[in-house]
Amino acid sequence: MRYDSITDAIGNTPLVRIDPAVHGLSHIDLYAKLELLNPFGSVKDRAAWNMARPHLSAAAPEQGGQVVELSSGNTAKALAVLAGMHGRTFRSVTNRMRIPEIKDLLLLLGAEIEELPGQSECLDPTATDDPLTQFHRALSEPGSTFVHTDQYFNPRNTEAHFTGTGPEIVKDLDGRAPDWFIACVGTAGSSTGVARALREHDPAVRVVGLVAAKSDFVPGIRTIDEAHEVGLFDPGTYDTIESVGADEAIEGMLTLNRRCGILAGPTGGAAYFGATRQLKDVDAELTERQSAVFIVCDRVESYLSYVRRRRPDLFGRPRRGNSPADLTDTEVRTAPAIGVIDALAWIATGEPLVVDLRGPHAYAALHIDGSVNIVDELFEELLHGGLPFSHNRPVLLACPVGEKSARYAALLTRMGHPDVRSLTGGIIAWRDAGAPLVRD
Amino acid sequence: MGGQPLYLEPRLESRLRSLVHSPELLHTLTDALGSPLNVLVPDQLADNLARFRSVYGTHHLSGQVFLAHKANRSSALLRRLAATDAGVDVASLGELQHALGAGLTPDRITATGPKNPEFLWLAARTSVTVSLDTRDELEQLATLVRGHALPRTRVLLRLSGFEASGVRVLTRRSRFGTAVRETAPLLEAVERHADALDLVGVAYHLDTTSLSEKALALEGCLRVLEECRSRGLRPRAVDIGGGFGVNYLADGGQWERYTTALTEAVMGIRPPLAYGGHGYGLRNEAGTLRGALGLYPAHRPVAAAGYLDELLSQPAASLGGRPLAALLLEHLYDLHVEPGRALLDQCGLTLTKVLEVRDDEAGGLLHIRLAAKADDVALEDHGVLLDPVVVPRHPMNAEGTDFPPRTTTGSGTGTEPVAAYLFGNLCLEADLITRRTVFLPHRPAPGDLLAFANTAGYCMDFHTTRAQHQPAARKVAAWQEGGRWRWCLDDQYWPTTPVGGAQ
Repeated sequence: MRYDSITDAIGNTPLVRIDPAVHGLSHIDLYAKLELLNPFGSVKDRAAWNMARPHLSAAAPEQGGQVVELSSGNTAKALAVLAGMHGRTFRSVTNRMRIPEIKDLLLLLGAEIEELPGQSECLDPTATDDPLTQFHRALSEPGSTFVHTDQYFNPRNTEAHFTGTGPEIVKDLDGRAPDWFIACVGTAGSSTGVARALREHDPAVRVVGLVAAKSDFVPGIRTIDEAHEVGLFDPGTYDTIESVGADEAIEGMLTLNRRCGILAGPTGGAAYFGATRQLKDVDAELTERQSAVFIVCDRVESYLSYVRRRRPDLFGRPRRGNSPADLTDTEVRTAPAIGVIDALAWIATGEPLVVDLRGPHAYAALHIDGSVNIVDELFEELLHGGLPFSHNRPVLLACPVGEKSARYAALLTRMGHPDVRSLTGGIIAWRDAGAPLVRD
Repeated sequence: MGGQPLYLEPRLESRLRSLVHSPELLHTLTDALGSPLNVLVPDQLADNLARFRSVYGTHHLSGQVFLAHKANRSSALLRRLAATDAGVDVASLGELQHALGAGLTPDRITATGPKNPEFLWLAARTSVTVSLDTRDELEQLATLVRGHALPRTRVLLRLSGFEASGVRVLTRRSRFGTAVRETAPLLEAVERHADALDLVGVAYHLDTTSLSEKALALEGCLRVLEECRSRGLRPRAVDIGGGFGVNYLADGGQWERYTTALTEAVMGIRPPLAYGGHGYGLRNEAGTLRGALGLYPAHRPVAAAGYLDELLSQPAASLGGRPLAALLLEHLYDLHVEPGRALLDQCGLTLTKVLEVRDDEAGGLLHIRLAAKADDVALEDHGVLLDPVVVPRHPMNAEGTDFPPRTTTGSGTGTEPVAAYLFGNLCLEADLITRRTVFLPHRPAPGDLLAFANTAGYCMDFHTTRAQHQPAARKVAAWQEGGRWRWCLDDQYWPTTPVGGAQ
């Protein structure tokens, strides 16, 4: 396979059969369309390229301006790459970008990200402009050189799937359309385009649209209310519209990841979960064989923080030694401590090492003269490996109010340090007592 | 009736629930004082304050909680506040006078908002801390202090226009405060007027529900405070304003069903849900939903003190990723907050008497006319959708804890749910208490009361006028004593009243 441009590698993704031992359907062959194998990582590569291509190839970079899209993720990723390849910049405007890894990746790719403001707390009922209306107005101002791909309304979004994704599925099923097509509804581009292509082949194809449960957030999927905001969305496309929750999406994702070797993200997981839920009842009634296809739209790697937030259990790590979490309440309560007045005297005579556990910015602003700054998180790391200073050196620990320092004083005592003390009341007590603080 | 009733039942905590379920008291009150009537529950304010204080405790933060006075002009609430250790933020000369008169000492008052010279003078005269919006205001105050030989005045600098690196967060424009970009000349002015002004810190107020915008602003404040310190100034506080929100509804599912139904109504999939097909900001353009839902997010799992906790737990990306609360604490800064709505959550209700219940010939919707005008129950002006609670005139069940089915005059048995429009008593087509079709569990009768819960924050008297000689709502304060509800006129309430025993 030799290509002249990475854009030639868009499309022609594999259709992979899911092992019946995993999905448990006895009369239905279930296939995953692996859109995660597109070069920029998602199904959106097709639409992005199809929408941007006429604009990017038409004018020289100096004439055409910035590519702009309302996107929270994969479309933005693809457009950022495509714009960069053609000497343009890309700006993503969104109020939905809730995945930090995708934000960072977009910045890395050179995108500008603008986040729309939140809703007003004190409502102004006379306000006429929502931020999106303002955005559209800015785009249509005379003399503006924006290339707005307009994925929610652009028919070239749907067309990419009508001419690409859909026919590829038919070809890989030896010229037959599947009996079932299950798709998540985001821009509605892939579900609409594929459904149209499949129905042209066989009008009996049943199409299941999956939306996110209203109280939940599943990346890349809209709720039923939000779907109405999409110009490409037509409820008539779907024989049925079902909703999927975040936990279900993650369950489906784990099955694809762990049992099928398909490194799908939560959107693909939602499609798999929705497909098996829908088909289970159908399967029980069937006597002849049927086939079903769902789309795996992108990859898992970008969603680790999303998954960690909802399923911390999946990231369990073994406990480590010398952790402040192991201390008993009694140990913390009886940790060796010293008040501000005595501490001043001790510093003058005993030369303890004064360790300030606050963050570096706070330390830089004001601290006890001669102290060293080891931020609590780093200090905890150090202690996992043992005492970070000699037994012979007395130590005074200081934090804002004397709570964290008491825990670490207790822990160091348990680890065998003979003379460690926590500054009672912390730096705040120190300040309130009028003891000197310096910036150097 | 057009499908299942789309209830939006109010969240009622124990005090307000007990009050709403005291029909005898509520009817006695409205018989004596008329409809509409505002009832305040001052003791709830102390409970709400304790919740905010506990968030401070969790993060070991010190600083003051200031009630935003503009949310309600009640004397009872302010005097009850004076009996706690909280403060008040005042936004007018009248509010400042009210606060001083209610017993709040100047160290517990902050003056904010647009100011006239009289307001500035009294604030400086009484040594109230002043939150300054612009450099002009700063100069004006300094001149005033010198010219009238007033004590050195403590000031906060209110900032706006915070900028993020990396992701550009478009914040709502605020007409209050000085852009952070203009901080340097502002601080130079502070230094120049050091004899008249004492900088205690910086402030912001952002009218947004977005945590990330507020976190960005707080982070920006920390950077400005650091700049103050590097200039040798000694600031020790940051005031982050209010806007922490209130959860108005008992059931999130009802809110989800309602907003979906509203979307469907706008899209023409189901019959309209509001008078004249009003869409609350949503509109149907060629089959696509456009506009934005102009409603207060009435069901909010994270609100009030919980919202503050979330905000303080946000990591500050430009300051090493440590949580904002840890940074405030480590830098030894006090945190000031100015909640209005959130501190007045569950602190009051508005009672309205049913004057007429009419069957509409066409649609089957009831027309209920109330002895109140739209401005008296300004829930919808603030985008808050909330069902009133029916307080029957003649409960069948004398225990009065729950309202059982009963017979009524007119059509319908009175036991089934009804859908209704609620009209006000002004001679104006537009005088609707709520534009929305309101669903009630049963048909009310003339003489019954409709109680709108949780109106103390902004929705009680913010818009009230005496137009058309219709009475504006009077106010009473109510409290529980020995298992019974007691009351007095708002103006008669002092924190000593419960012991002294008016009424």
